[in-house]
Amino acid sequence: MPPRPHPSRRPRGTSPSPTRRTLLAGAAAAAASVPLLSSCGSGAKDGPLTFWNFYHPAPQQDPNLVAQSDWFQKAIDRWNGAGEHEVSSVYMTSDQMNQRMPVAFASGDGPDIFLISPGDYLRYANGGVLLDLSPYMEQDAIDDFYPDALTTRRDGDKIFGLPMEQEPLALFYDPDLLEKKGIAEGDLPKDWDDLLEMAASLSSGTTTGLVLDVDPGYYQNFTFYPWVWQTGGDVIDPKTQKPVFDADGPRAALDLWGRAVASGATPRTRPANGDIVSAFSSGYAAFWETGVWDVMSLTDNAPDKKFGVMPLPAPKGKESSTILGGWAWCVNARGKDPEAAARFVVQSLGSMDRECIDHCAVWNGPAKGNMPARKSVDQKMQAEGSYDEEHQKIFHEEILPTGRGEPRFPPVVYKAVSDALQSVELAGGDPAAEASRAQQTIESYLETYEGGSLV
Amino acid sequence: MSAITSRERRERRAALFFLAPDAIGLTVFVAIPMLLSVVLGFFWIDGFGNFDFIGLDNYVRMVKDPQFWSSAKVTLIYLVVLVPLIFVVGLGLALLVQQKFPAVGVIRSALFLPYVISIVVVSMVWQFMLTDRTGVIATLLSKIGIDGLSFLGDPKLALGTVIAVTIWLQMGYYMIIFLAGLQDIPTEYYEAARIDGASARQRFRRITMPLLAPTNFFVLLTSMVAVVTGGLDMIFVLTSGGPANSTSLLIFYIYQQAFLFGDLGYAAAVGSVLVLFLLIFSAAMFLATRGGRFSNDD
Amino acid sequence: MTTDATTTSAPGRAPADPSSPRSRTSPVRPRKRRSRTAWLLFAVGLVLALATVFPLLWMVLGSFKTPEEVNSPQLIPKTFTLENYVYVFSQVPFARYLFNSFFVSAAVTVLALWFHSMAAYALARLRFPGREKIFLAIFATMLVSAPVTIIPTFIIVRTLGMVDSYAGLIVPAIFNAFGIFLLRQFYVSLPDELEEAALVDGASYWKIYWSIVLPLSRPILSALAVFFFLANWNSFVWPMTVTSDPNLRVVQLGIQSFQQQYAADWNYILAAATVAALPTLGIFFVFQKQIVASIKTSGLK
Repeated sequence: MPPRPHPSRRPRGTSPSPTRRTLLAGAAAAAASVPLLSSCGSGAKDGPLTFWNFYHPAPQQDPNLVAQSDWFQKAIDRWNGAGEHEVSSVYMTSDQMNQRMPVAFASGDGPDIFLISPGDYLRYANGGVLLDLSPYMEQDAIDDFYPDALTTRRDGDKIFGLPMEQEPLALFYDPDLLEKKGIAEGDLPKDWDDLLEMAASLSSGTTTGLVLDVDPGYYQNFTFYPWVWQTGGDVIDPKTQKPVFDADGPRAALDLWGRAVASGATPRTRPANGDIVSAFSSGYAAFWETGVWDVMSLTDNAPDKKFGVMPLPAPKGKESSTILGGWAWCVNARGKDPEAAARFVVQSLGSMDRECIDHCAVWNGPAKGNMPARKSVDQKMQAEGSYDEEHQKIFHEEILPTGRGEPRFPPVVYKAVSDALQSVELAGGDPAAEASRAQQTIESYLETYEGGSLV
Repeated sequence: MSAITSRERRERRAALFFLAPDAIGLTVFVAIPMLLSVVLGFFWIDGFGNFDFIGLDNYVRMVKDPQFWSSAKVTLIYLVVLVPLIFVVGLGLALLVQQKFPAVGVIRSALFLPYVISIVVVSMVWQFMLTDRTGVIATLLSKIGIDGLSFLGDPKLALGTVIAVTIWLQMGYYMIIFLAGLQDIPTEYYEAARIDGASARQRFRRITMPLLAPTNFFVLLTSMVAVVTGGLDMIFVLTSGGPANSTSLLIFYIYQQAFLFGDLGYAAAVGSVLVLFLLIFSAAMFLATRGGRFSNDD
Repeated sequence: MTTDATTTSAPGRAPADPSSPRSRTSPVRPRKRRSRTAWLLFAVGLVLALATVFPLLWMVLGSFKTPEEVNSPQLIPKTFTLENYVYVFSQVPFARYLFNSFFVSAAVTVLALWFHSMAAYALARLRFPGREKIFLAIFATMLVSAPVTIIPTFIIVRTLGMVDSYAGLIVPAIFNAFGIFLLRQFYVSLPDELEEAALVDGASYWKIYWSIVLPLSRPILSALAVFFFLANWNSFVWPMTVTSDPNLRVVQLGIQSFQQQYAADWNYILAAATVAALPTLGIFFVFQKQIVASIKTSGLK
């Protein structure tokens, strides 16, 4: 993919260039395009603050979804109950959010508060629509966040989003299935080659050895990065901001994924349409790379099914490493009342008061079952025994410490890595050639890139 | 003289009145958005209110963008394979269910059935059935000794799979259109030909095809438009453009650029090229068929 | 797996059937041949029909499966359960979604047929300058594809204050050149004498349209009605873009909301999909004769 042709990205918030005159090519067209191109906000300052999310109000009565929805309800009730500028939440599926957000922002009608993943962060930050939350936070609270959870949401001292969780990836496995094939829990794979060999030998009939993600998208890249990091490699060096993808490490990681599919260890489509609960219950998969959220899915939806969790195996002689996903709350800088929205977000996720910390512990504990983004929440959860459950314990003690925040790469970088990965994994592409091509694409893109750092 | 002009004036005024609702609606909801889209193609837009006029840069970028060309190629293959197949399958089914045989009504309904189900549901169902190893198709195939095919996961098979599912979905619709055309051909023509000793193939070539020409034209044109502009929902749910971009149609690429990457200007430019391509293609079809008997003066 | 057996063995069995000893004794040869052909055609049709319906059958049977079983390749559920349907209607406002889809699709269909028949009447039967050009311009709008224009369209809809309203779901969906095109072809084919007598009697063009042209187009209108209704019932991208109010959620979005971020309740999805397909199936079964009959008399002949 070639670089963006425009000479430089406009610094955020600047007014349109004088070339707007050319818009007058057609009067009607120009008139109609003003809302699209102008940077005005939604205009109206009254009405409740809209909060777009995919948890509340719950669209169905599944107990787990209701618990998550109630958590949002409680946070909103606390705010609204204090007579502040009313917050009103809008539920959307994540697909709908993907569709609706760009349309809404392009027409100056974005939500006041919304959820954002690292994959989308830079676009929004560089577009100048995210409000800096740091003026609304105590320094203690800022320091209370784990650096890995916050780095990808900040620019210098400015904080553009507050993470509500950290979600590490790990290797889930089915001990019953392994036992049936004569593999004891002590024989779990120790390195990459071990894993591939074992997974290939387990694949037969309806059983798949190792499930890796196959659908192109941000999520697939997310599940791929830790394998790159384990080699000591990276896509972009956070210090120099230069691409380092055309190197031995990334090539080896690409090669691993390619061999996994080629050897039959990994299927080209995920069993049970990617639902680990059904797949494990039916004995369709032995190993599965997925995140901490599936601990709760499995324990809730298949309470009788035994499963195990282990860190992602590293190449021989290297350290295991993982990636930390999760969503952050952001405030639209051009919303109705950004100041009130910011205070709401800080009150709910980023304040040192007891109520906030306790409530966050409920989210990361019983409601969502993942890892907290803050130290005080972690202490609270430890005191409450949230990590006593055997799988959560492994995540908390062994996996979380090896984690690194999900990188916030812009679309062109994401796409370059995705194309290389897809080609090697599924189309028999050569790892060296693909790594080098991705490297070139990223290099030429970064030549003209201006905006937040790529970490 | 004056009577004629007054009648003419009355007729013109009536025409204006009758045309107004659709003309206004199409202008507001189709034409202006399209014009806007063309205008946006000359801008760099980040989707957050920042923009910059960049002239033809988006088009220059398109020419150099390997992903654009790869998507254009996929779209072309999709078009060139799918349109004739839909034509043949639709016509074949129509010829079949036009005959009299037991339970023909039920069979006809069954063949139309997929068309009434939404693409989203249909794609989910197929995705389920086409899963490696555990899907129902893989299970059936392994019973007859075929193992290890991945219809959605192998770049060599994925586009073919998408085409097959599309045909399955739409064949009933085109079958109905062809059926209507076939039933309009007077049976006496066939009787006469039969008496003259014409074979079934001769009857098809000499009577059916010529008299079916307007239907053929309609099916070719509308299926071409549907193939190029549609298909987004299906790709979206079925393959996300993968594996390895093998099903990344232009329409999906446009969607990706606009909605996932927020590059509205570039998406608009690619979209404009797509519409222009359709315009040229259908104009060529009009010319080749001398208007497909569209003109009033025919 | 029973369906599989029928599907694969049918072609082999088909020719054998008519040539059974009994049919050989038939006295009238041509008749026998015709019936043999009929049975052959039946066999071919049956195989194709079964193959076509199989995925839908799989969907319907899957909707009766338990969550544990929904991913198994087994076609027939081991334990039949109605739980998924109970869930879909009791735990989710699915009836509301069905109502929204029905209301929106019906409104779009009625308004679209009305406007399109008016426009088509003018394009086919009235003389005015620039008629051919206008027709071609209208036709050209058929080539515009939704994803290209969805953002500009949204901006216009928002300017008109129709976001998150029934109007936003209905109004932009009405305007589609396909219907105008088809109806115009039909009106062109009507005989010229049609309105002459009425015009001599001094009837207005509206009266001619309303009491002569519209009644004549009933069959083609009913066919288009089915196609429009189907298209709008199944439409997905536009409702997803223009609404977020749960009270306006249409059935296709309702189905999608079963796909949570981290969990896919396939048993519910299949039940919901089956429920969502029932009205369209019903409409097709009721109208299938009219559809063929009407397209037949359209300008496509």
